[in-house]
Amino acid sequence: MTSPIPGVSLAGFTGVSAIGATSAPAASSTSGGDFAGILATSLDQLQSTQSKADNLATQAATGDLQDVHDYMIASNEASLATEMVVAIKNQAVSAFNEIMRMQV
Amino acid sequence: MALFDAMSIAGSGMLAHRKWLDAVSDNISNINTASRTSEDAFKERMVSVQAVEYGQGDGGVQVAGVSFGSGEGRVVYEPDNPLADENGNVKYPDIDLGDQMAELMMAQRGYQANATVIDRATDAYKAALALGKG
Repeated sequence: MTSPIPGVSLAGFTGVSAIGATSAPAASSTSGGDFAGILATSLDQLQSTQSKADNLATQAATGDLQDVHDYMIASNEASLATEMVVAIKNQAVSAFNEIMRMQV
Repeated sequence: MALFDAMSIAGSGMLAHRKWLDAVSDNISNINTASRTSEDAFKERMVSVQAVEYGQGDGGVQVAGVSFGSGEGRVVYEPDNPLADENGNVKYPDIDLGDQMAELMMAQRGYQANATVIDRATDAYKAALALGKG
């Protein structure tokens, strides 16, 4: 039980340092930009879905709403989009924390 | 809508069935509307729909138009009706209530089915969002 762990960590250290020496900047920059892009896109979509739901809520309050289901679908979509962005944010934060916990 | 297609597609189905329900309720509300024999009787409203091709459009269904039935109606002898002509006849719309009731049920069930699709799609999306939470 104790003997495999030092062996694994040793192998991991050498592997990580070898990769880091060759291609760490490229990998970090591409993955960081990609993730930021995903997060920005989802935030944009969240904004548009929420403003759509807000408009329909106003219409419902003023009595201008034509279709009840339009508002229900929009609020459903807004809540789903919020959940999605929160899920992406949580994954980002947990990945960040995981990196910060790394022993150097 | 790019993000949650199934919901907007089912929404178009709900819209089409809502309009069908409106047409049927219009027909039923006017089923006893008498008119002069010189005029057209109330014309039955019929909603026709068509598919929005998925891939070319957004998918789903849209109302293609509303067509009207015959205004000929059926002539009924009702001399006490203020709209009766010199022979004592008035016109009633030629709408079959049983037929309208069947359409009402179909429209209602279609509306509910589309609402169920939205519910299930929400559940499915939520399952996807729960991925990786353990």
